Amino acid sequence: MKILIVEDEPKTGDYLRQGLAEAGFVVDLARDGLDGLHLALDGDYDLMVLDVMLPSLDGWGVLQTVRRSGRDMPVLFLTARDQVEDRVRGLELGADDYLVKPFAFSELLARVRTLLRRGKAKEPEIYSAGDLELDLLRRRVTRAGVKIDLTSKEFALLELLLRRQGEVLPRSLIASQVWDMNFDSDTNVIEVAVRRLRAKVDDPFEPKLIRTVRGMGYVLEAPQPR
Amino acid sequence: MKRPLSLTARLALLFAAMTASLLIVVGVVLGRAVEAHFVELDNHELLGKFALIENHLLTSATPEARDTLGQRLDDAFVGHDMVGVLLRDAEGSVIYAVHPSLFNASQLAGQRLPEGIASWEKDGRDYVGRERTFTLPSGAGDASRVTALVGLDITHHAQFLDATRRGLWLGISVAAAVAAMLGWWAAHHGLAPLRRVTATAGALSAARLGERLDDTDAPAEVHELVEALNGMLDRLESAFQRLSDFSADIAHELRTPVSNLMTQTAVCLSHPRSAEEYRDVLASNLEEYERIARMVGDMLFIAKAENGRLPHPDETVELAAEARALVEFYEALAEERGVKMDVGGNARVRGDGLMLRRAISNLLSNAIRHTPADGTIEITIADEGPQVALRVRNHGDTISPDQLSRVFERFHRASPDRQRHGEGAGLGLAITRAIVEAHGGTMTAESADGVTTFGMLLPRAPAQPFGR
Repeated sequence: MKILIVEDEPKTGDYLRQGLAEAGFVVDLARDGLDGLHLALDGDYDLMVLDVMLPSLDGWGVLQTVRRSGRDMPVLFLTARDQVEDRVRGLELGADDYLVKPFAFSELLARVRTLLRRGKAKEPEIYSAGDLELDLLRRRVTRAGVKIDLTSKEFALLELLLRRQGEVLPRSLIASQVWDMNFDSDTNVIEVAVRRLRAKVDDPFEPKLIRTVRGMGYVLEAPQPR
Repeated sequence: MKRPLSLTARLALLFAAMTASLLIVVGVVLGRAVEAHFVELDNHELLGKFALIENHLLTSATPEARDTLGQRLDDAFVGHDMVGVLLRDAEGSVIYAVHPSLFNASQLAGQRLPEGIASWEKDGRDYVGRERTFTLPSGAGDASRVTALVGLDITHHAQFLDATRRGLWLGISVAAAVAAMLGWWAAHHGLAPLRRVTATAGALSAARLGERLDDTDAPAEVHELVEALNGMLDRLESAFQRLSDFSADIAHELRTPVSNLMTQTAVCLSHPRSAEEYRDVLASNLEEYERIARMVGDMLFIAKAENGRLPHPDETVELAAEARALVEFYEALAEERGVKMDVGGNARVRGDGLMLRRAISNLLSNAIRHTPADGTIEITIADEGPQVALRVRNHGDTISPDQLSRVFERFHRASPDRQRHGEGAGLGLAITRAIVEAHGGTMTAESADGVTTFGMLLPRAPAQPFGR
């Protein structure tokens, strides 16, 4: 997967490149709007991360030209101002998602993966990790053959973790995807919810599948057999 | 660029123009009346002369009498220097004349005057005249019809009118000039308080926002302006104060986490450590950064809400549906604390669903935090006349009245050590209030006998979408 980052702030650009490269993507970094536009038009990218405030040609200009040339790769734009006008304008010009600076890198990574997954192969009906299995159609969860009873929100949470297993999911993404709460709660409600899910899914079993990544979020991962 | 005329000059000109036009109208009407009066007077005098002439003609039936006609008429017109008379017999020959020099050559030659009063000019003097034919009593033979032409010198009338007009123009000019001066004086004097206000306003600065404009001797119009300006200053001062507080709050709140970060990082770097330890410090730093980022975001949100710059979708929001979604969200947390939640009633408001959900969320999380185990949080939604009320009621410690009045302020915490429990920066209720006020609503807080109720009162259907 090839990702183009257009970002003029040197440190941010470098860390984004490093972070995304370490997450397994092939990353190119452009430091101003015109360079970014040339790369976007010439290279064959799967996704573009685009800053709005750029020298020589701003993010709007880049986005507009890219869309006019018929390229439909997902574009995630970054804005320093939490302005509605920015958001509306970006979405009108054909951006797919946006993040307001400062953002958590885990949040960016999760959004990037969501965008890349969009429109890809049909989702399976049964997810599994190790000996854990979740059947979407029958709404059944089993581990090592034992049926586990979950509330509907616990089921949705486990489904999200399984669907994106191996990815660190930030709390805000979990709140948004499972409960449709698109703001940060000033409580540890997600921790509690995950803890309760673990009590049912992980505590009676080995190995543990749900892991807390400190400062970043939660990940469900079957340990690699050695 | 040309500056428009000053108000004083405009008023002076206006007064002058008004006075002049008023006097001109009066002058014209007066002139017409005088002129009409003179015409009337002339006509009257002409008719009088005709009566005199007729009288003498009627007594001239006998030839003897006729011979003395000229003599008698001469006697009658003695002293009437400004009257001219021509008498003609039926053949047109002049039988009598007094002051014929005031008639035109053509009139002397026998040309008839038009019907009614005629006027003419001769040698720089003005005349009016009239003609009439008399029939003499029978027995007078062939000279039975006599035509009388009477002319009057009215030059003095014209002179009088001219003098009057000149006087009138002079008077109008003087009056206009006086009116202009009076206007200038009144405007200049009347606007003096305005100049004082300008001087005071010019001297105001951010550091002296507490000063107010003086309106002790201002006239009513300026008084209103001064009141409006003072009102503006009040608002500016409080906004300015809020801004200062805002900066101070941020600085104060950022100091602790930044100092923690610095100490922790410095200590970590002072000795070589294992990768595990470094990871630990970095993760801890990240948590601290996220707290700072969230605080900055929340502060920005409140600032935007207070400045009316929130997005303002105008959608119908079912409060019960929002409350139930939030109860579901907080269910795990509440259960773990042994707290029950209950939603009752429903009402609809118009506004931004996401914002209102966030507002209710903060009330609910606040209630969960302060409800002891086995307690119940009751969320009641009710129509209350023009308003809709959503109340969150819970048992817990009673909040003292002085605390209660400050509970919606930024960074207010019930106890100073609250932040150490990782429970927000004391912005939740401030955000709730900002959202509710942006929707045109108000917040209420009551606490007595171990029961605390926070309420948001929202207009049922705001006439206008909020914001902007």
